[in-house]
Amino acid sequence: MNRIFPTPEAVRPHRPFSRWDLLVIPGLIALFVLVELGLKGAAAPFGPKTPDLTVSLNPANLPYYGLRTLLRMAVALVFSFGFTLVYATIAARVRGAERVMIPVLDFLQSLPILGFLTATTAMFLGIFRGSLLGLEAAAVFAIFTSQVWNMTFSFYASLTTQPKELQEAALMLRLSPWQRFWKLDVPYAMPGLVWNTMMSVSGGWFFVVASEVISVVGRDHPQFLPGVGSYVALAIQQADVRAMIYAGLTVLVLVLLYDQLFFRPLVAWSEKFKIELSQGQDTPHSWVLTALQRARFAGRIAQLPVPLWEWLWRATALKNRPVRVKEVRSITPQQRLLGWGSTALIAIVALSSLAYLWTFLFGPGWGFAHGRLLQPNPNLNPEFSASMAKRFEDLGVRRSSENAVWLSEVCRISNNGQTISPELAKLLTEYRLEPTGWLERCAKPLAPAGKVSLLEVLHVLKLGLFTALRVTLFVLLAMLFWVPIGVWIGLRPQLAGWVQPLAQFGAAFPANLLFPIFVILIIHFHLNPEFWTAPLMVLGTQWYILFNVVAGATALPSDLKEAAKVTGLKGWSWWRRLALPAIFPAFVTGGITATGGSWNASIVAEVVSWGDVTLTATGLGAYIAHWSTGEFNPHVGLGMVVMGLMVLAYNRLVWRSLYRLAEERYKLA
Amino acid sequence: MTPPPKTSNPVILSAQHLSKFFVSPEGKPFTVLEDISLELREGEIVALLGRSGSGKSTLLRTLLGLIPPSRGEVRYRGQPVTGPMPGMALVFQSFALFPWLTVQQNVELGLEAMGIPAAERRRRALDAIRLIGLDGFESAFPKELSGGMRQRVGFARALVTNPDVLFMDEPFSALDVLTSETLRSELLDLWAEQRIPTKSILIVTHNIEEAALMADRILILSANPGRMRSEIQVPHPRLDNRNHPAFKELVEQIYRIMTTPAGGASTPTLPAEPRSLGYRLPAASAEALVALLERVGEEPNYGREDLPRLADEMQLEVDDLFPLADAAALLGLAEVKEGDIQLTPQGRLFVEQDGSARKRVFAARLSEQIPLIAHILRVLEARPGRRAPENRFLQELEDYMSTEDAEAVLATAIDWGRYAELFEYDYNAGVLSMEEPVPIAR
Repeated sequence: MNRIFPTPEAVRPHRPFSRWDLLVIPGLIALFVLVELGLKGAAAPFGPKTPDLTVSLNPANLPYYGLRTLLRMAVALVFSFGFTLVYATIAARVRGAERVMIPVLDFLQSLPILGFLTATTAMFLGIFRGSLLGLEAAAVFAIFTSQVWNMTFSFYASLTTQPKELQEAALMLRLSPWQRFWKLDVPYAMPGLVWNTMMSVSGGWFFVVASEVISVVGRDHPQFLPGVGSYVALAIQQADVRAMIYAGLTVLVLVLLYDQLFFRPLVAWSEKFKIELSQGQDTPHSWVLTALQRARFAGRIAQLPVPLWEWLWRATALKNRPVRVKEVRSITPQQRLLGWGSTALIAIVALSSLAYLWTFLFGPGWGFAHGRLLQPNPNLNPEFSASMAKRFEDLGVRRSSENAVWLSEVCRISNNGQTISPELAKLLTEYRLEPTGWLERCAKPLAPAGKVSLLEVLHVLKLGLFTALRVTLFVLLAMLFWVPIGVWIGLRPQLAGWVQPLAQFGAAFPANLLFPIFVILIIHFHLNPEFWTAPLMVLGTQWYILFNVVAGATALPSDLKEAAKVTGLKGWSWWRRLALPAIFPAFVTGGITATGGSWNASIVAEVVSWGDVTLTATGLGAYIAHWSTGEFNPHVGLGMVVMGLMVLAYNRLVWRSLYRLAEERYKLA
Repeated sequence: MTPPPKTSNPVILSAQHLSKFFVSPEGKPFTVLEDISLELREGEIVALLGRSGSGKSTLLRTLLGLIPPSRGEVRYRGQPVTGPMPGMALVFQSFALFPWLTVQQNVELGLEAMGIPAAERRRRALDAIRLIGLDGFESAFPKELSGGMRQRVGFARALVTNPDVLFMDEPFSALDVLTSETLRSELLDLWAEQRIPTKSILIVTHNIEEAALMADRILILSANPGRMRSEIQVPHPRLDNRNHPAFKELVEQIYRIMTTPAGGASTPTLPAEPRSLGYRLPAASAEALVALLERVGEEPNYGREDLPRLADEMQLEVDDLFPLADAAALLGLAEVKEGDIQLTPQGRLFVEQDGSARKRVFAARLSEQIPLIAHILRVLEARPGRRAPENRFLQELEDYMSTEDAEAVLATAIDWGRYAELFEYDYNAGVLSMEEPVPIAR
């Protein structure tokens, strides 16, 4: 390449190194070594003969566990990014695709995340046979599902709300789809995407603690993947306060590292993609980004792939071909036919998936046999205890792969309850099951073993209502608490500058580490767990309310504040006329995020334990947690579907109307 | 000075019988452009002039291939246009710069589609940057620049590809007067001195003086639907002095054409077809309308004023002035003809009254002259609670126009109705209402 004009850097005499390289190059080498170390551990062999995985509570292991956890988070994030770019682009750019892909995404988003863990473990173990990577993949997938939907929605929203002028400019400049993607689509979406990624990763920390302990079919004990989450789980199991404190400190450090080394630089860098009319006053800074940008030698290494990129760039260029603008002519009869065809296809696919789901949940008769409604077929081994299942099996009652003993199996071997053997009767009494009344129980047609009955749907809906009630009540309480504080802080810009990062940090710190404190308090004061476990659901999500309200109050225009002062607006009327309307949009955004997070947290928060004590609150989260036994089963499926539908309905009914109100009436231009 | 373009110069771009329909939500087609034919020849600057609603922006996008026409065809150098062709470039009203790219990267973007190697891209971009007077700003981001400098980037980005034909969509209207003046004359210099290889320029504008200053030929579009109204050949050499009598005459001539309806020569600007519910009320606020009428009623002419002078004096773009004049004419408060606006007796009455008496005159004109308002009043009176949702009226309007237009028309009607205190409107509920009549004591 012959340059005619030398670059400004080329004119200035300088050495190929800068002092920043002293920091950046060792940093990069350390990073490579650590990644290598972590990957070696993750790819260890794991087969049926491998002893159960466990962790040690020795704090000396925590740095390594932290590394493994961090690596899982990072891999999940990479996959989330990839999925986001591909899925959202197809949904936005392929005609007709969004009609299917967006509702699917909407539903997936509202599904409880932990349900995916049971759903996918077996699949990943099958893919990575004989390697620990299977379990690793299952854990990574759980984290992935806690992050990805949010990010995909954000990217899709950016793709569909691009300014018309920039779209036209891209057309007029005849950018190829590849060029347009990198020059317009991705940059325009970047600030929103980075922000949503930060929110998502906060959620990810919460679930990493819950997703590292995995039940595997065929093993009696859950597997503890090396990681901070497993460490915490073991500490809780053994009621080890000291270990909990070590774990808390480790997570603190990890979240800080993630923030400083990854998100700060990312946020500072994405600042340039904001569409602003003028320069902002306080742009975020990051020492890591500064170091990376000024390290000269490292910069050269980073330039190595540039020729390849340039080649790709030129290869995809349109050159002398004109752009083909998609015609949006009036619909021809053929297109109409095609439209009908695709609608019919979608309907067929949707109906058959529904039929498949229905069969999976309720059995081949779809919940009926000979026109009669099938009755619930309960599990007689509610703790899924292996030893109990074994004792049933010795008496001829088959157990399922997950150690469930179904009522229908007892009926089957006892000739519909007519011939309960004395041994069986003894066993049943031992487990506090009525030895009599089996004739009546077996007389009604039961749902097939492992399937749910339509009657259970009502029960699960009721549980869902309990959870909804808890979520609503505690999000409201959190709002009552944080809104005045948030406004107070937001009106003091200096204070707000301090509080904002703290609140974001609070959201990222996994609240489940604090659950044991609540358990101990509840037991000590003999409190009702039905009510007092509920605060746990908002423990981690309340921060969304705080920092959104602080942001809203900070953005309050000073002329409005002055006008309020001049007109003598004070006390309640100041809140009613100025503060509350002005922060309403931020308040709604915070509320939406907090509620969504709380629904998801309910699975973890409705069943909490410390040592031998387990507190359970009646609710949908507890139901799903109870049935998460290592294999995806109809009960978990039912719980997930009901929760997904309830969250969808909740968002449609409550938040969407509030959001619209905020958009139309309370948005400050 | 360039020689006046000859009609024998080769044709660069031609449009034959272009029409564009859009389909309303109800499935009714409505016409935006109707049977437009034009040609762009080498060596000429053509201005496309029209008031808002004339579809000049749609026409421009159709010529560029950004919007496919419903009927007719566009050819560029003989080839049918189905999308932006190499050799075409567009300068945007809002600049349309990529905020995350520096000035130089923005300018290079135009070359990237052509698959030009990086070193050459850089060289050509720097050349274009120098040509357009942006030296020193290569590494600046758009947000660091003033409006004028941003539009210079827009020009550099368009010119760096050495376009055969340059399209400009109201390129100066987002700039202040002084800046736009400078930029305009610099561009004309580049053109006149042939320092850019561009063979022809098409500029879309609503600024009459701008068209008169820049163009060799002015095409005037009429509104609703957009039709080719007339074509003015600008005498040469180019008139760059605003005080020149010939320039003033040209501006007057354009005003006359634009205020005279397509049918007759001197009838007042009232729609040719009988006014129906679906008549597109001009986007004029009651407040601005009152200000205009008061100004016309004042000295020096007490009731008659020259529109170009009025535009100049009130600092109104024609896009603002014409809707106001239209509204005044529509209500029968003024007559607009021959580029002049003159108060009617009703208009004089309106100007002379004040307070509630003035509002009574306005209310009477509204219910008499505007079928939509009369309709709203009838509906409200017939309803038991004297309330009706706005959606009802929107749906009725959508039989005649697009949803966007329907919303704009209803917003105007609501503004007028509120000013006249004929009815009230609740924004949150989207409901129009009327006070209960006060029972008359007998």
